[in-house]
Amino acid sequence: MNAPTADPEPAAHYDRVTDGWRLLFGDSLHYGVFDQGDEPLAVATQALTDRMIAAAAFEPGLRVLDIGCGTGDPACHLVRTQDVDVLGITTSRVGVDRASARAAADGLADRATFEVRDGTANELPDESFDRVWALESSHLMPARDALIAESARVLRPGGRLVLCDLIRRRDIPFKEVRDRRVDFATLREAFGEARMDPLDSYLALAEAQGLTIEVRTDLTEATLPTFDRWRANIAEHRDELVELLGADGLDAFERSTHILEGFWHDGTLGYALFAASKPA
Amino acid sequence: MADTERVESTIKGFLRRAKKSEDGIERDTALYADGIGLDSLSAAELSAVLEDELGSDPFSQGELPQTVGEILDFYADSDTAPESAAT
Ligand SMILES: C[S@@+](CC[C@H](N)C(=O)[O-])C[C@H]1O[C@@H](n2cnc3c(N)ncnc32)[C@H](O)[C@@H]1O
Repeated sequence: MNAPTADPEPAAHYDRVTDGWRLLFGDSLHYGVFDQGDEPLAVATQALTDRMIAAAAFEPGLRVLDIGCGTGDPACHLVRTQDVDVLGITTSRVGVDRASARAAADGLADRATFEVRDGTANELPDESFDRVWALESSHLMPARDALIAESARVLRPGGRLVLCDLIRRRDIPFKEVRDRRVDFATLREAFGEARMDPLDSYLALAEAQGLTIEVRTDLTEATLPTFDRWRANIAEHRDELVELLGADGLDAFERSTHILEGFWHDGTLGYALFAASKPA
Repeated sequence: MADTERVESTIKGFLRRAKKSEDGIERDTALYADGIGLDSLSAAELSAVLEDELGSDPFSQGELPQTVGEILDFYADSDTAPESAAT
């Protein structure tokens, strides 16, 4: 067996990779949406955030829960551009520290706050947020039903859940997982333990919580150039990245970009966004 | 070593390497969500380890086993028991 060298559990994984990932992904720890195809990664990651903003239909003064807040870049952006208040939560202590420092440096500490909490058991009061925002964090939460149930619970009537993430676009038979276990283990080593589900299964979970689907968008094509941009960042920052992620960690990440690109091309994995509202 | 012990020690060795708890593992412990917590990748890895160590594996024959006991039963069947010469 090809055992991962590091703890794949999300909190430990994110504590370990946060600094290195900034060099690979930029400030926003997520995929890019490439409307042109040749734009820089930072433009494309912002474009994904903008797609989420459009789906969220913000209004000034709303209270937002950001589940899986990374290092706080999207949350600070929302405070600045949408005039909302954000509580960002993540299971990574390093993420909370970075995000809090970031908000303080931007003078936003009173409107963007960050806490260590689990999105699948957040212990926040019922009906206390107008928007729940989960940008590329759900694939790290095995209890997907609990994530959606908790999101619906903390939403006020009339509120909205907006989520985007990697999705699975076909069944992967057990034999195929077994035959390609080295590839899947490489993905686990690079990205931590994850499970990709079909978009329809998210929508079914949201509907089971009484939410109404407002937006559903497939972003598979638009996110495809992301892998090429990550490889360009590896080439540009290789020495620093080896320092931060280790030679094996960086190697796993680089191999992962090719494995994922193949899965994007052959219709196995992709990317999608949806928004669902809670009846008023 | 008795066959069942050998199968058990193969499973436990796998769980140790995969950083999963071996505590409280019984015959009726579920392999997936509410038990050991294997996902499809770790089940595939266990399947490969069982085949490497014991020459055959229950995951590659028909229905996937659901409990630890179902794995043990697969090897207890004389047709599929690990060859004792390999101990
Ligand atoms: C790919 S990053 C996305 C970060 C951020 N949304 C962004 O776009 O920059 C995934 C985030 O989910 C967090 N996460 C993983 N499991 C979680 C859980 N159970 N509850 C809350 N956050 C979690 C990670 O710590 C990390 O901050």
